[in-house]
Amino acid sequence: MRLKSLTYILSASLSLSLISCGGGDHDSEELATNDSTKVDSIALTNESDANSVIYQVPSPSEMLTFVKMVGGKNNKNSSFLNPSDNAKNYNDAKSKAINFGIYGCDLSYCSTFEMGVEALKYFKVVKQLGDEIGVSTTIDANVAKRLEKNVGISDSLASITDDLYYNSFEDLQKGKQGSTLALMVAGGYIESLYIVTNLNKFDAKNPATQRIADQKYTLDNIIEFMKKFESEAAVAEVIKDFSNLKSDYDALKETAVTASSSAKGIKVLDGGTTIEITEAQYKVITEKVKTIRNSYTTVK
Amino acid sequence: MKKVVALLFLAIIINYPKNAISQSSICSNFHKEHCDAGSSKDDKREFLYNSQSRSGLFSQGSISKLRCVIYKGMDYRLSLCCETAGTQVNFKILDAKTKEELFDNAKNENAQQFEFQSNSTRNLLIEVSVPAGDATQAKGKPMDGACVGLLIEHKISERSGFSKY
Repeated sequence: MRLKSLTYILSASLSLSLISCGGGDHDSEELATNDSTKVDSIALTNESDANSVIYQVPSPSEMLTFVKMVGGKNNKNSSFLNPSDNAKNYNDAKSKAINFGIYGCDLSYCSTFEMGVEALKYFKVVKQLGDEIGVSTTIDANVAKRLEKNVGISDSLASITDDLYYNSFEDLQKGKQGSTLALMVAGGYIESLYIVTNLNKFDAKNPATQRIADQKYTLDNIIEFMKKFESEAAVAEVIKDFSNLKSDYDALKETAVTASSSAKGIKVLDGGTTIEITEAQYKVITEKVKTIRNSYTTVK
Repeated sequence: MKKVVALLFLAIIINYPKNAISQSSICSNFHKEHCDAGSSKDDKREFLYNSQSRSGLFSQGSISKLRCVIYKGMDYRLSLCCETAGTQVNFKILDAKTKEELFDNAKNENAQQFEFQSNSTRNLLIEVSVPAGDATQAKGKPMDGACVGLLIEHKISERSGFSKY
């Protein structure tokens, strides 16, 4: 009987050996074919996937930092952020992952705009949701200590929260949690748009207004990025929401840039198009962003 | 019986390292650790890390394409690095929409770093390829694989004259 059991274990184990040794290229094959690995890396490519493209999405903090640098540094208003109390009510995987991204962006906003006390509050909910979705190794006690130590130093706070975002991204990628990663990125992105449209009123000459219009490009990339995981119902729903927003962006006028320009000591890439946005279109997009974002944060 | 136990032990040994390796990401932070060509101490420009930076495992001789957003009014610095000793990474920058070639490092002394602005916000397609060479061998890495990093940094362009913003 004992021998029989051992034989079963042995054959199962040898079968596993054969599966894992299914060719010297096992690991390269995994890199080339596993979507959840491929999302964040320049994957190993071969003839068959030479035309595949990896879509990149800027982090939410980059837009927030830009808005601060072009004149919005006094825009300290946490009233429109997702209340931290909501976190305990997010019980399903989709709302946890999306709101992990949303709270991460709120944390980034508080850090970038020097709201240290609020940043610590949002750090706690980011950690709580991070533990629940599997990125707890990134958010250890040392991060909390670093945050507390740097409450009054916005650059340090922003740097710490940026690291948190990038490391969470890496954790989810390494853990092959592709759909969770897609939802986190989507949550962070929609919250960054929501925050900036709250901070910035339409002014055609304001670079922040132009930055909102330019989100057409990022939105295209984020939708393509999420499509790799659209077999998951939760991701497919978010793609539908974002495609709805994209239809408003597609209505914006694009004008070809024909003039060449130069700058001292740096190469200038000519060509491309300029996206123009009217006040009415800005309002429509602002409302659409608000509706989508609130549908993710509202506790049902 | 002893043979069965020995075989079982052998099978576990064969399985273990393979499974352990497959859990790890071989090149994940390569760009952070190796691509920082670094501003000299005299270079006070403050480039910021751009989250569209990536590393990955490349099959030597193959091409990978990465699409990223760049904004008008920003300076960008791309730095490429490869673990393949003594060889350089080839890269081209194309407009993602028109496929117009905007830069090719092969025509620019194989530069591994490139600073630029764009006169429009757009999606760029960065095509990266790695020539064959001697890569550091690591467990779980294919023989012709090499870690490649693409570090993207940005900063707001300096303006001349007065501006409200």
